[in-house]
Amino acid sequence: MDAQNILVCGIGGQGVVLAGKIISNAAYGKGFDVKTSEVHGMSQRGGSVSTHIRFGEKVFSPLIPGQSADIILSFDIYETLRYARDFADKKTLIISSNYGKIPLWASARENDGISIAEITGTLKINFDKLLTVNKKETAMALGNVRVANIILLGLLSKFTDIEEDFWLKAIQDSVPEKTKEINIKAFLIGRNEK
Amino acid sequence: MQAKTFHTALLTGNEAIAAGAYKAGVRVATGYPGTPSSEILPYLARFNNAIVNWSINEKTALEIAIGASIGYKRSMFTTKHVGLNVASDPFMTLALTGVRGGIVIITADDPAMHSSQNEQDNRFYSKFAKVPMFEPSDSNECFKFTDEAFEVSESFDTPVIIRMTTRISHSKSVVHIEPVYLPNMNLNSENKNNSYLKEKIYIKDIEKFVMAPVYARKRHKIAIERLKKLQEFSNNSGINRIEYNSLDFGIITSGVSYQYVKEIAPFASVLKLSFSYPVPDLLIKEFVKRVKSVIIVEELEPFIQNEISSIGINLKGKEIFNRFGELTPDMVKEGLINAGFIKKYDNKSSGKLLSKGGLSELDNLLKKLPQRLPALCSGCPHTSIFYALKKLKVPVMGDIGCYTLGALPPLNAMDSCISMGLAFGAAQGLSLSNSSPKKIAGIMGDSTFFHSGITSLIDAKYNNACFTAIILDNSTTAMTGGQDHPGTGKNLSPGQVMSNKIDIKRVVEGIGIDEIYTIDPYDYNAVYKTLKKALSSKNLNVIITKRPCILYPVKIDLGKKFKILEGCNGCGLCMQTGCPSILNSGKFLDNNKPVPFIDSSCIGCSICKDICVFNFIEEIKS
Repeated sequence: MDAQNILVCGIGGQGVVLAGKIISNAAYGKGFDVKTSEVHGMSQRGGSVSTHIRFGEKVFSPLIPGQSADIILSFDIYETLRYARDFADKKTLIISSNYGKIPLWASARENDGISIAEITGTLKINFDKLLTVNKKETAMALGNVRVANIILLGLLSKFTDIEEDFWLKAIQDSVPEKTKEINIKAFLIGRNEK
Repeated sequence: MQAKTFHTALLTGNEAIAAGAYKAGVRVATGYPGTPSSEILPYLARFNNAIVNWSINEKTALEIAIGASIGYKRSMFTTKHVGLNVASDPFMTLALTGVRGGIVIITADDPAMHSSQNEQDNRFYSKFAKVPMFEPSDSNECFKFTDEAFEVSESFDTPVIIRMTTRISHSKSVVHIEPVYLPNMNLNSENKNNSYLKEKIYIKDIEKFVMAPVYARKRHKIAIERLKKLQEFSNNSGINRIEYNSLDFGIITSGVSYQYVKEIAPFASVLKLSFSYPVPDLLIKEFVKRVKSVIIVEELEPFIQNEISSIGINLKGKEIFNRFGELTPDMVKEGLINAGFIKKYDNKSSGKLLSKGGLSELDNLLKKLPQRLPALCSGCPHTSIFYALKKLKVPVMGDIGCYTLGALPPLNAMDSCISMGLAFGAAQGLSLSNSSPKKIAGIMGDSTFFHSGITSLIDAKYNNACFTAIILDNSTTAMTGGQDHPGTGKNLSPGQVMSNKIDIKRVVEGIGIDEIYTIDPYDYNAVYKTLKKALSSKNLNVIITKRPCILYPVKIDLGKKFKILEGCNGCGLCMQTGCPSILNSGKFLDNNKPVPFIDSSCIGCSICKDICVFNFIEEIKS
């Protein structure tokens, strides 16, 4: 089989690296050859961040070639636009938060602005499989808005051929002890959504 | 029963280096944090088997490793590429003395400068110093080569470089490794089967370790002789290998580029250089003889290309590939198309590349997307000082750390960032140039001050320099992930160093500087007033701002929240802090100015409240 390519993107501090860790551990748990690539340091301070995860029988490059992502998981719609342009093709599944954040000083410099509706519209035209979701409230009901992105990860898990057990073990191995329960709950909400 | 079970683990390159060093029985490991090398020592410290510590800077770190080696122990020094510049003085002469216990130097280069001030290619250091070099291309090789590097170091009496890059250090891949070489706090038995661990009693050997001219001249000859033996090893040890496929197309490559080559051109024959200095001249000659058309794929400088050209073989490399930045699978593909190795349409992803031109709506929208520059965190204690410096419009000689972001918009309050510890020296020099009517400020963080700011502050005092030295003390090395330094009272190896904690103010007093201000950067008005006062005085003076980083060692939330009041006139002062919690509410005033909105990521530092001269920012009382 060809390598499966998953790209996770967002802003530094949103858990992009953690999501990448869970996906790669799940794929590794199932027995795939796995490679990932991430960036640390300065870009993590509120900058645009991405993690590449590739798995299959044999993987060479830790970076996903252009226009070759099978799935893009994005925690910020502005970043969805940026990374879809470089890594998605028409058939890429894009799972994206339907909200995004740009600091006022940066947005105020732009004369013509850019609206989220505009981004969603353009993404829809260019990509067949776009899923924009907002799980902030569901996450808040669970008790922590930060697990919203783990719900998105649960959603993503349905589109891989990695079984649930491998996902659950990967989450348990990747998150701090005291947040295990809420992360598992959040993941299952996403995974069991119809 | 199975003869042998294969054990594997999914590790980053950095983790695999640490595991390999543990396997080799490293006893002393030192370094100074620097992306992308910073995760090696913390992972090694989890094994409880070696003395693993952050040093004050790279030079000291390597000197400690050298001392341990003189004492017959295996030692390792880790650094980012520019850190080897700092340690280059001991490094260049260590290359002459050689070692007793093996010394392995990990240099992690950062092509594309994800988190660096330059993208120098440290492979040249191996040639410069006549020191052998390994270039792993995945985590499994990081593990294997580190173990082997110690053997090479001792058998050839030389320090050994392992040259990493960001894509090796921060990529994960599967490592074939026995569980005993993975960190497990309950299972830390020493590797007793390693003979070099036997305690040896120190004896001196001045001909080997005193590099006065009389002995250094002899050792230089030995180092040159050593290169010949290393070249034999490079040819014959099997570590450099040829993978024959098509005899029409051949590629010589190393490091992560090897992976891109295998991905894009699985049909080509490949000479993979894993021990890339000295190059295996015989293997290269054999490869070039058997394969019709051969090119070189390497990141950054034409290092391999120059080495091959020096043995009289001219191959194309940098004529096809960039000499700057990282390679990517797509760039390798484009290069191979240009070299005639692959046709434009002969594999599955080339159709996708063509679709690039058809995405014009996306491209138009992307042009409008603001560049997302990295920024200081919400509540970062560095913010207020840069906001005040910008208002005071003084020249600011800056330095390397999170606070380098003070140079970017909207703060725009730093005028230089060149090397670690530059600020105070450059501030002295700029003031000597008499080119600024205003007093100069020099600014650096606490870890940088320890790294190399102290010496230039002493120089400034001794030579009657006049500028304002600002030390941003957030009690950690923040940019690289919160590592300890002499001011934190902790280090990686367990053991109480709290009592040895170095107090920055006492260091400054010890230099003899009298005018010292210690301030809380969350008190914006005090920050502004103190800066103004210090910058109008005719003395060399020092401002120390004290507030812990909000990320390290623990995340801080002061529990206060702020809001923008009705009537805000959209003046935009608050957004000039660059705080990532101050967003566009989506509402606009009649004059088209956006009304700000403070979102839930606010940690309550209250700087924006102090800055809002119209008092439209208020704490939310619950």
